[in-house]
Amino acid sequence: MTEINYQGLPWPVRDDVTAAQRRAWERLGRAGTWLTGAERIAVAAETRHAPNCTLCQQRKDALSPNSVNGRHDQLGALPELEVEQIHRIHTDPGRLSRAWYRDLCDGGVAEERYVEIVGVIATAVAIDTFTKGLGLDLWPLPEAQEGMPSRHRPAAAEQQMAWVSTLSPQDAMGSVDEDLYGGRPTVGNVVQAMSLVPAEVRNFFDLVTHQYLPPAAMMDFATEYRAISHAQIELAAGRVSALNQCVY
Amino acid sequence: MRLLNYQPWALLRASGHNDGSEYDLSVMTGADISGEGAGGGVANGALLLRFATAAWAGDAGDLAAARTEIAETMGAAALTDTAAVVALFDAIDRVADATGIPLEDQKAAITADFRSTIGIDDFAAADEKGYST
Repeated sequence: MTEINYQGLPWPVRDDVTAAQRRAWERLGRAGTWLTGAERIAVAAETRHAPNCTLCQQRKDALSPNSVNGRHDQLGALPELEVEQIHRIHTDPGRLSRAWYRDLCDGGVAEERYVEIVGVIATAVAIDTFTKGLGLDLWPLPEAQEGMPSRHRPAAAEQQMAWVSTLSPQDAMGSVDEDLYGGRPTVGNVVQAMSLVPAEVRNFFDLVTHQYLPPAAMMDFATEYRAISHAQIELAAGRVSALNQCVY
Repeated sequence: MRLLNYQPWALLRASGHNDGSEYDLSVMTGADISGEGAGGGVANGALLLRFATAAWAGDAGDLAAARTEIAETMGAAALTDTAAVVALFDAIDRVADATGIPLEDQKAAITADFRSTIGIDDFAAADEKGYST
């Protein structure tokens, strides 16, 4: 298996960033909570393929994505509705809607699989956008490992504030997922967003901590933790969020 | 209890409050990222905006130029840290949008004064998240 390695570049990548990406890449190929390793790799591959999809390009150009029908150009390893999920999240995230999500569920997409797929997409995007940003070729996807999904659904997860069911910090207390929020009684909604599949929260926020900032550093403006300042970090982050039309 | 934020617009403003600066938040949503004041008052802000925009758009030529500018002006470590942040937010935006989480009331309140001004309330998802005015 190819290991993520940024040595030899004219620009130094922090060791902790490389290590976090290696962990994420290794997890990508392992059986997850609801998806096998092969399915997780298929999701990552489809994520990479989505920008080449003619239907997605036509929808992106349309006033409303719902006004354009057709079939996705796809790799063929996943069900049609999961391909729709992956392509839309990757190519037009700012115009997703609750009605679109409900249609996927009504069509048979299980919300647990939906959330895990979101986590795989996010992992692939976080690493691929980084490598492309540095002008590098994308890393080969890891090989799928044998194993069965754990099928762990937090007992207290329920539909409360998002389209998907989530586990609140209060309900995580005393459960097997007590570590999920680091014992904090309140956390931002984005931290809870994938908590229906706790492993995806742990996986993705490992990358968040190293590619962005650890929780304790986010509002510690008296200390700079990176080679760019807090203000510079937030300016770059805000620009991307604006381009993605993300209101969160 | 202060919520961990993850909202760059609010954190940029908070950062400015801490160091006595008033940053122009509108540069993040603006179309012109090359004119005078394009960096919003943030040191080397225009370079960062150019890199973020090129990385998001996947424009290899613009991206190569932006990489060179940042590395030469701010240093090689600044370039890789910027790339890491840009990539991470390209991902976390999708987590927020795909799961349909709403903006917390507390965050909505502290950002209400600028969301409309800089155009965030005009984003398609604003209605979906239930706080557009």
